Amino acid sequence: MNLLAQRHRHARALLALEDGSTFSGWCAGAEGETFGEIVFNTSMAGYQEIVSDPSYAGQIVTLTYPQVGNYGVCREVMQSGGLFLRGLVVHDMCHEPSNWTSEGSLPELLKQNGVVAIEGIDTRALTLKIRSAGAMRAAISTVDLDPESLVSRVATSLPISAHNFVPDVSTKQSYTVPAKGEKRFHIVALDCGEKRGIEQGLASVGCEVTVMPWDTPAARVLSESPDGVFFSNGPGDPEQVTQTAACAREVLGKVPVFGICLGNQLMSIAAGAQIQKLPFGHHGGNEPVMNLLTGKVEITAQNHNYGLVFESLGRLVPELSGGETEHHADLRFWSEKRIAPVVESERFGRVRLTHVNLNDGTPEGIQFLDIPAFSVQYHPEANPGPHDSAYLFEAFARLMKGREDYLAIDVREGRRF
Amino acid sequence: MPKREDIKKILVIGSGPIVIGQACEFDYSGTQACRALRGEGFEVVLVNSNPATIMTDPETADRTYVEPITVDSVTRVIERERPDALLPNMGGQTALNCAIALGEAGVLDKYGVEVIGCDLDSIKVGEDRELFAAAMKDINLDVARADIAHTLDDAKRIVGELGYPVVIRPSFTLGGAGGGIAHDEQELFHIVSQGLQLSPEHEVLVEESIEGWKEIEMEVMRDSAGNGIVICSIENLDPMGVHTGDSITVAPAQTLTDVELQRLRDYSIACLERVGVATGGSNVQFAVNPNNGRIIVIEMNPRVSRSSALASKATGFPIAKAAALLAVGYTLDEITNDITRVTPACFEPSIDYCVVKIPRFAFEKFKGSEDTLTTRMKAVGEVMAIGHCFEESLQKAMRSLEQGHAGLGSDGNDEYDEENFDDLVSRPTPKRILYVAEALRRGWGVERVHEATRIDRWFLERIADIVYAENNLREGGVSGLSAERLLAAKQMGFSDVQIAHLTGSSEEVIRALRGVLGVMPVVKTVDTCAGEFAAETDYHYLTYEKGGATEHREASKPRAMILSAGPNRIGQGIEFDYCCVHAAYALEAKGYETVMVNCNPETVSTDYDTSDRLYFEPLTFEDVMNIVEIEKPAGVIVTLGGQTPINLAKRLKAAGVPIMGTQPEAIDLAEDRERFSSLLDRLEIGYPPSSTAETIEDARKVARVIGYPLLVRPSYVLGGRGMAIVYNDADLKTYMAEATQVSPDHPVYLDAFLEDAIELDVDALCDNDDVYVGSVLEHIEECGIHSGDSACCFPPFSLSDSIVANIRDITRRLALAVGIKGLLNVQYAVKDEQVYVIELNPRASRTVPFSSKATGVPLARMAVRIMEGEKICDLRASGELPDETREIGYYAVKEAVMPWSRFPGADSVLGPEMKSTGEVMGIAKTFPEAYAKTREAIDYEMPGEGAVFVSVCDRDKRAIAPVALAISGMGYDIVATAGTAKTLAAAGIPARVVKRVSEGHPNVVDLMASGDVSFVINTPHGHESRGDGAKVRSEAVNRGICCVTALSATTALVQALAASRDARISAYALQDLG
Repeated sequence: MNLLAQRHRHARALLALEDGSTFSGWCAGAEGETFGEIVFNTSMAGYQEIVSDPSYAGQIVTLTYPQVGNYGVCREVMQSGGLFLRGLVVHDMCHEPSNWTSEGSLPELLKQNGVVAIEGIDTRALTLKIRSAGAMRAAISTVDLDPESLVSRVATSLPISAHNFVPDVSTKQSYTVPAKGEKRFHIVALDCGEKRGIEQGLASVGCEVTVMPWDTPAARVLSESPDGVFFSNGPGDPEQVTQTAACAREVLGKVPVFGICLGNQLMSIAAGAQIQKLPFGHHGGNEPVMNLLTGKVEITAQNHNYGLVFESLGRLVPELSGGETEHHADLRFWSEKRIAPVVESERFGRVRLTHVNLNDGTPEGIQFLDIPAFSVQYHPEANPGPHDSAYLFEAFARLMKGREDYLAIDVREGRRF
Repeated sequence: MPKREDIKKILVIGSGPIVIGQACEFDYSGTQACRALRGEGFEVVLVNSNPATIMTDPETADRTYVEPITVDSVTRVIERERPDALLPNMGGQTALNCAIALGEAGVLDKYGVEVIGCDLDSIKVGEDRELFAAAMKDINLDVARADIAHTLDDAKRIVGELGYPVVIRPSFTLGGAGGGIAHDEQELFHIVSQGLQLSPEHEVLVEESIEGWKEIEMEVMRDSAGNGIVICSIENLDPMGVHTGDSITVAPAQTLTDVELQRLRDYSIACLERVGVATGGSNVQFAVNPNNGRIIVIEMNPRVSRSSALASKATGFPIAKAAALLAVGYTLDEITNDITRVTPACFEPSIDYCVVKIPRFAFEKFKGSEDTLTTRMKAVGEVMAIGHCFEESLQKAMRSLEQGHAGLGSDGNDEYDEENFDDLVSRPTPKRILYVAEALRRGWGVERVHEATRIDRWFLERIADIVYAENNLREGGVSGLSAERLLAAKQMGFSDVQIAHLTGSSEEVIRALRGVLGVMPVVKTVDTCAGEFAAETDYHYLTYEKGGATEHREASKPRAMILSAGPNRIGQGIEFDYCCVHAAYALEAKGYETVMVNCNPETVSTDYDTSDRLYFEPLTFEDVMNIVEIEKPAGVIVTLGGQTPINLAKRLKAAGVPIMGTQPEAIDLAEDRERFSSLLDRLEIGYPPSSTAETIEDARKVARVIGYPLLVRPSYVLGGRGMAIVYNDADLKTYMAEATQVSPDHPVYLDAFLEDAIELDVDALCDNDDVYVGSVLEHIEECGIHSGDSACCFPPFSLSDSIVANIRDITRRLALAVGIKGLLNVQYAVKDEQVYVIELNPRASRTVPFSSKATGVPLARMAVRIMEGEKICDLRASGELPDETREIGYYAVKEAVMPWSRFPGADSVLGPEMKSTGEVMGIAKTFPEAYAKTREAIDYEMPGEGAVFVSVCDRDKRAIAPVALAISGMGYDIVATAGTAKTLAAAGIPARVVKRVSEGHPNVVDLMASGDVSFVINTPHGHESRGDGAKVRSEAVNRGICCVTALSATTALVQALAASRDARISAYALQDLG
C-alpha cells in the first residue's frame, strides 16, 4: 500500500541480501524477523497457492507481479494446512480485496500464520539481482532496520542445504484421500510436502490415496499392497532427504511409481543420478516443456531450485537415441530433433528422457523402460498455473493399468472441462 | 514443422482506410507480417487502399497495390501476380470479408490460391453468431441466450422469451457497428432496424443482457502442432455493456483468481480448436458474473485484432509476426522470442507491470450525437500506459490522452457538470472515469459508486486510494514533500502538475524539488518474462522506485529522439506515425541510436523493432524531459508528430533541449497569425483579408469591412475545431453566442471566405538555402471544406502550369523567410487566378504519406536527412529528389473517409471542421479513373442503377445542370425537390418531383427507404441542420446510400461513374510507377 494511501501506520521493514544489498519497505504480513533463501516467482496470479505450497519451506518468495492480494484468499485453494514459506516480498500489497470467492485478505492470512512479509520493494530490481547472482540467503525484519546489521546477520545465517525441511512439512500421520468417482486404484503417496492439488489430481483419475509420512519405510509402504506409489514435491535440498530416496530405491521395480518435483529428484537419486542446483531455479507458471513422445509443448507450472543432471543417469543407448552417442548438456538438442534419448542406468535399466524445458534445455521428465515408473520435475497439478500437464495423472493410471504408451497423451486431455 | 517450401508468393490483404473499429493497429500487424514473410524469403504482394500506412511503403512488400479491397479489384491483382497463397487474417474484418467473397466468387479456386493462416469455414463459425453459439454448445461452453432476427417481428418474439434488456448485435459488421442495448420496445425498434440495415446479411442477434458483468479478453495463439498459448489476459474496467474498444482496459486481468483465469485459458484454447483456427492469433471475449463466477463466451475473432495489437505492446510478444510465421508452417517452439533471443516463442508472457489503455473519443466533433458508450464502438484512438501499479498507469494514461488532464483530475482543470453529476457517474461516457474519481472525492464511498457503475470494487478502491493520497498531499503542502512522500506520489502516477496544484506550487518548483531530493524516474524494460531472462531489446517505460535501479544502457552512438503523435484523433492520425517511423529509419541510417517516444499502442512507431530504443511514455513536457535527461540526445525531432510535439517545442528548447530541424522561433513565426500576416505583407504574398473580434459588435464591424461570407474560428484550434462559415449577420450572431470561450485572451478570428475558390495543399522541404516542392495537391472540394476532409489529386488536374509555378515560387520564398529546416506544408486558395496563402504549417502534414506515395519521393525521410545536415542541392544531384516539374504519367487521388454511421444524430455534412477518420488512395491513368478507385475503396462498390436524388442550394443551382445532364445521360432517373426540378426543367432535363419531408408523404425519405435511390446529391446552405437536408443525409448514412454534399465532388463522382463503366480499370503496383 502506497505511503500516501495508508489509512493507519504500517511498520517499516527491511530486506537484506547475502550480497550486501538492502531494500526498505513496509511490513505486509506478520511483524518480526525471518531468514531464508530468496527466490522469485513469475506467476501473475495464484499468490495464495504459492504461499501455501510447502515446497517453499525455507525460502523467501518474491512475487514479480507488482500488485498482490487483489482477489483476497479463501480456504478452498490452500495447498496445505498452513504457510511454510519463510517470507514474502511484494511491490504493492492489496488490503481491500475484491472477488466473490474472497474470505479475507492476504496480509491477514500472512499475519495469522506468522509469515513476515515486506512491501514497497522494487521487485524487478530484486529479481534481476537474483537472476544474475542466483538464489541467495536473505532476511526480512521489522525489528532490525539497520542495513549493516541485518546484512551481517544474513551472512552468518545457515544456507538452505544445511537443513532438511521435509520433516517440517510432512504429515505426521497417515491419512486417506478418497477417489473421486469410482475407485480404480489404491496408491500410497509419500508426503514430502505434498500440495493438495496433487492429491486432487490423483483422486480425479480414480486413485484412493493413502498419504504417509515422508520417512515411511518401503516395507511399510509395500505392506499396503498398493497399485502404485507416488513421491511428492517438497522443499529444500534433495540430498537431505535420504530416507525417502532409500524408500524409492526399494519400491522402484516392485510397483508402478510416479514422482513429481522433489519426487522426481529422489527417484533419480535412487537410480544413481546426480542432482544439481540451478542458478535461480524455475518458479512460475509459464515454462514451456516439450513432451518428446508427442512433440507437443505444455505450458507448465514449476517450482524448484534443484534438478536432475540427465547425463549422470548413464550412457546413451544409441540405437534408442536416434544413433546419437554423445550427451549434450543442453537437452534442447533432443527436442529440436524430436528424439527421446535413452540411457542405461546403474540400477534400473534403461531410462528415457521424456520432457525437456525449452527455455534452458534442462530435463523435465524421465521414464523407466524396464520397470514401471516415470517422473516429472514440474507440476501437473498446477495450482497455480495452466492445466496442460494434468494428463500426467491419467498417464499414471494408464501405467498402473499396464499400458505401454501411457505417456503419449495429448495435452488437450488435461484442459478438458 | 519447418517452413513450407511449396509456396513462394503470398498475397497479404490490408484493412483499408482507418475507420472507427479498424484503425492503424492493422498497419502494425500487416507491416510485421510482410516483414516476417519477406525475412523468410517469400515474395509478398500487398493490397491496401490506405496510403498513410507503413505497410504500403514500397519497401515493405515486394509488390504494393494501393487499390480497393473489393473482389473485382483484388481479382485484378491476383490475375496479374498469381500468388500461391493468401494471408487474410492481418487486415481485420475487411480482409477476412474480402477473402470470403473471393472464395465464394470462385476466384481463389480458379487461380489456385490457397488461404493460409485461417480457413474460410472457421471465419464463418467465428463470425456467424448462430454457428458460433452452436459450436460453443458442442464444447459445453455457455453463451448468452439469444436468437437471430431477420425482421422486427422476429426480434419482438425473441424478446418475449428473454425479457428486456436485450443486446442487439448485427452480423458481420466492424467493431460491432449498429449494435446496442434495448431496454424497451421503442429502443428495440430503433436499434434492430438500424442493425438490419448495416448488416450485410440483414441479420441481427438478440441476446440476453449481461450488463454489469466483468468483461475479459484472452489473446490466444495456436500452431499447426496444436500448441496453444495465452499471450495476455485483458480486463475491462468498464463492465459489460461498453464495447471493449470504448472501455478502459487493464492488462493483465486484476480481479480474477488463478482458478478463474486458468478456466478462461482452457475455454479460450478449446474455443480456437472448435472454431477451427489451425494457426495464428485470435481473441476470445468472456463475460464473468462477479457474484458467482459464471462464465459466458461473448465472441471470438479468428484473426489479429485491435486487442492483439494492445496485447503485443503490453507484453512485448509480437503476435502478428508470430502469426505470419505460423501461417507458413512453423510451430511456436521453432520461433525465437525476439526479446530474449534465447528462449522460444512457445511460452506465455509474464509481465511485471500494469498496463492501462484508455480510448480517445471525438464526440465534440459530432454535435447532436449521443455520448453514451454502448456496445457500438465510437472511439477514434487510444493510449496505453505502463507503470508498476494500476494507479500509476491510470494516471499516466489519463495524461497521455492530451485532453487537458494531467492525471485523474486534481490538476486545476477540474470542471464538473453539477446538474447532471449523478447521471454522469452512472452513465458510461468518455468522462465517466473523472466523475467516478470526483464522486469518491465528494464522499460517495466505494460502495455507492459501485452500485451506480458496477465497476469492480478493486478498481474503485484503487481510485479511492488516489483520492486519499490527493488529500494527503494537499494537507502536507510543499513543506510536507519529503523525498519519501514525493516518491510515493510519483509511484501513484501523480504528475508534477498535479502535485503542484495539490500543494499550491508550480510544476517548475516540483520538478526542481525532485531534482534536489533525488526523486527521479528509473528505466525499466518490457521483456515478456518478468526479468527471468535478460532482454536484448530496448523497450522501456519509466517508473519510480526506491533505490533507483535503472536498466538504462549507455549507447556508443549519439542518440536522436523522435517525439511521435500520441493517440489517434480526428485531425491527427496514422499519417504522423508514418512520418516518425521514417524518421527512425533515416536516423538509424545516419548512424544514430534512435529513441522513439509515444503512447499509442496501435502504431508501427511503438513496435520495438522500429527504433533502437522505445519509450512507451506520455508526450507531456514532464515525461519527455525525463527521457531527455536519461538519454541526453544529440537532437530531438518535434516536427513529424503533428501538433503534439510542436506544442512542446518551445518549452523543450527553453529547457536547453537541442531541437533538430525547424526551430521553435520559426514555428512561432508560422503559427502566430499576426507575425505571419506581416511576413506575408513584407513578401507581398496575398492572403484572405482577416481580423479578430472579441464581441459581437466588433465582429459585425469586421464583417462590414471584409464582407460576407466569413470563415470564423476560435483563436486556439486543432483540426478546425469550432470553425464555421457564416453568410450573414444572423449566422454571425448565432456563432458568437455559441463561442463561449471568447475573451480578450481568446478572440475569434474572422477571415474573408473565398467562396468557390480552389484549395491546394503543398508539401515541401527546405534546408535554409534551398526549397524542394515535393507535391502540389489540388483539392476536389472547394475552399471551406477542411483540407483533411477534402479529396485531392496529384498532379493538379485543372490548374495551369503558370499558377502551379507561381505556387512553387511562393512556397520557396515563404519557407526560406520563415526559416524552415525540414518539412513544411502550405495551404493555398486560388480564385480568379489569384493565389492566396491560407496557412503555413511548419511541420509534416497529414498529406506527407500520400504525397510520398504519389510522387515516389519519401518526403519524411528526406526531411530528416535535411534536419541532420544534408543539403537539398546534393539530394537533387544524387537523383533522390527528382525534378519538381517532371511529367508523371498517372493521377493519384486521395479521398477522405467519414465516420457518419457511428454518430447517428450528427449532420453528415462537410465543412471547415475536420471529421474524417481516414483516407484512401487511387492511382490510374486519368483523374476520373483514379477517383473512381477511391470511391470503390471507401464504399466497397460503386453506386448501382436506379434513381438519383438531387437537391441543391441556390448557390449551386446554376452549376447543377451540366452535372444532371451527365447523370441523366448515364441512364439514371433524376428525382428532385420542386426548386431543383424547376432549374433542371429549364435546362431541358426531365426530373421527377418528390415531396420534401416537411411536405408529407410520400416524400424523399420514403423513396430512399424503398431502396430505389442509388445516390444522393445534396448541397446544404449555411447552418441549416434541423431541416430537410439533414434528414435526407442522415437517411442516406443509415441506409448506406452514397451522398455527396459538395458540387465539386459531384462532378468528380459523375466522371468517376462514367470512367468505371467505360474503361477497363487496371491495377498499379507502386514499384512500377515513376
